[in-house]
Amino acid sequence: MKRALSIVAWTAAALVGAGALGAIAMHRGEPLNAIWFVIAALCCYLVAFRFYSAFVAAKILALDDTRATPAERHDDGRDFVPTNKWVLFGHHFAAIAGPGPLVGPTLAAQFGYLPGTLWLIAGAALGGCVQDFVILFCSIRRDGKSLGQMAREEVSERGGFIAQLAVLAIMVILLAVIGLVVVNALKASPWATFTLAMTIPIALLLGLYLRYVRPGRVLEASIMGVALIVFVVVAGQWVADSPAWAHVFTLSGLSLTAAIIIYGFSASALPVWLLLAPRDYLSAFIKAGAIFSLAAGILFVRPQVLMPPITRFIDGTGPVFAGKIFPFCFITIACGAVSGFHSLISSGTTPKMILRESHARLIGYGAMLLESFVGVMAMVAACAMTPGVYFAINSPPSIVGATPEAGAATISGWGFPLQAETMSSMAHAVGEITLWNRAGGAPSLAVGMAQIFSSTIGGPRLLSIWYHFAIMFEALFILTVLDAGTRVGRFMVQELGGRIWAPFGRRGWMPGILLSSAAIVALWGYFLYQGVIDPLGGINSLWPLFGIGNQLLAAVALVVATTILLKMGKLRWIWVTLVPMAWLVTVTMTASYQKIFDPNPRIGFLSGANALLTQLAAGAVPAAKIAETHRLIFNLRLDAAVTAILACMVLILVVEAIMQWSAILSRRREAVLYESPYMATRWAPDFSGVAHDDAVGDTIGGD
Amino acid sequence: MRRVAKSVRSLAHSFWQGLREWCGDAAYESYLRSKNRDANCCSKLSRAEFYVEQLNRRYSRPNRCC
Repeated sequence: MKRALSIVAWTAAALVGAGALGAIAMHRGEPLNAIWFVIAALCCYLVAFRFYSAFVAAKILALDDTRATPAERHDDGRDFVPTNKWVLFGHHFAAIAGPGPLVGPTLAAQFGYLPGTLWLIAGAALGGCVQDFVILFCSIRRDGKSLGQMAREEVSERGGFIAQLAVLAIMVILLAVIGLVVVNALKASPWATFTLAMTIPIALLLGLYLRYVRPGRVLEASIMGVALIVFVVVAGQWVADSPAWAHVFTLSGLSLTAAIIIYGFSASALPVWLLLAPRDYLSAFIKAGAIFSLAAGILFVRPQVLMPPITRFIDGTGPVFAGKIFPFCFITIACGAVSGFHSLISSGTTPKMILRESHARLIGYGAMLLESFVGVMAMVAACAMTPGVYFAINSPPSIVGATPEAGAATISGWGFPLQAETMSSMAHAVGEITLWNRAGGAPSLAVGMAQIFSSTIGGPRLLSIWYHFAIMFEALFILTVLDAGTRVGRFMVQELGGRIWAPFGRRGWMPGILLSSAAIVALWGYFLYQGVIDPLGGINSLWPLFGIGNQLLAAVALVVATTILLKMGKLRWIWVTLVPMAWLVTVTMTASYQKIFDPNPRIGFLSGANALLTQLAAGAVPAAKIAETHRLIFNLRLDAAVTAILACMVLILVVEAIMQWSAILSRRREAVLYESPYMATRWAPDFSGVAHDDAVGDTIGGD
Repeated sequence: MRRVAKSVRSLAHSFWQGLREWCGDAAYESYLRSKNRDANCCSKLSRAEFYVEQLNRRYSRPNRCC
């Protein structure tokens, strides 16, 4: 009876999900209600989790709960800490959910809501979740080893080195592009700039409190910090209304770039407890609150999706970024569907804290499904605003025109009616000077979120507060990624430098700390600067570069996963990782090729440089702009070189892996797995983790 | 009625514990428990020392994603 009910329930979930997907795909004409997106996504996730992840867990990975995990084998209360599965799910989700699933779908909305939504759901269920789950499993079986270490042992020595270099290169691009998102969100906005600037003294205050007054009392400090942040969001309005203070906090793109570079250097070089950690605590709480509020708001308001399912820009002429739907939709969505960076978390902290192997299914596969849902919500928020407004916010002036009237005429000409007054009244309603040309995804997402929140609480009166709350939320956790990433990048630079000169590698040596911090900040700072001065808005060049890097790292992770599955004797099921890997390699290599060689100057870096050279040769560039044009040419060539290097590194790793697979399949080489030896768990079957604090010692002691 | 109140209390306690674990508030207690289980262990870090040591370790590897 129970089994029959279960079959009926799951069949119903599958049919409802298919019906909702069908409604999204087939709907034409009238606006579509956002609730269809939520139903389609949730039903697909439920079915994928219940069946596909169970299939991967049972048939392929053969998860074994009798086996002691690294948390039990090495329990030291520091890195290796047995943790309740729901707590670890929260930890893992907080670590993997960054700005990518919010910004990527917002930018990809220029193709219409359909391609992005389908890829967010299908890409996560069949690619991203599988990658996170399998890499987490592999790391658990290897005492929590990192992706680089696993690549070195299981694929080749060179593979490990390439993976490490790829991580550093991708981190540099990532930090630059998220810095650019913040610059575009804060540019000429005294309210937002004041609010974000105030988070620094708040974080410093909390840092001192947590270090000297009440060491380690994170919860009480975070509650105080969140209250202060809500206060400064409101106080930002007073600053914006005061001409003297508004002048102080109205900064240009270049001034904000300098401020972010100085901030990144400080956060990397200062003690971690002073600025970086307290900001991270604040960010985690606000991120969790904002994401759940957005989900609740969408369910409550059920907004109409005004963007068409597919726009004319699938042909590659999009104003937000140039490039056809294939491969650029997939490169742009990136983290919401598949994220290479997740493999660093899945082979970092999480495997050292997992209690049982079976928990890897919920944590590895399930957390990525939730991240994909965040992406779907961002897509809904972006598509719920009038398409004309969306394109006005996200398009650079070089595409739509420098004046509001010209911009409105251009966008209306694309078939998305817009009046210049609509933009000025909307800017006024959200408390901004202008919303034109704010490329980067953050402002348009903030407008979408503010419209949803204000429909739930406060009405139009609170629209400006909600907008600046959303901007603060996005900028706060983007800066958290930026400062944490800069610090990790600093350690990587020190490690590499230490191979040449040993003292440089010492983590406590102050000249080494300052030099390595300056080096990593200079690297991402340069790319950020080039994005800010780019006449096409920077996002057009840097976001695809970041997407390519991120997806290439995912391909590296799936190469490692496929090699391990092959060595485990799972040839029959190898398509589970091989197909997403082949897809990612195809997408990223196509995108890399097009970004380097495409004859369209808006897409191809080299043709962009050549077009500028032609203008210089023809004397079409004013004398005052000649130096800047030479710099733009250099930047475009640099971007082409970086893309080529990233693509080559991954191609080398793929070729090495294919040679290894061929040797194993033809029995020329023995398939040696570098797993830790089996050790039976001493924990009772009902032991569920540290949340049952008192049981830990008893359970172990009792055995 | 008493059973319901007990269940609610237990649920609230689990939620509170989970929240403390999630945000790192209970990290020092986990550390002490681990040290207490180890019979050979002699020296334990103070709460303040543990806090700084834990942060230095946590932020030396990728722990926040894009």
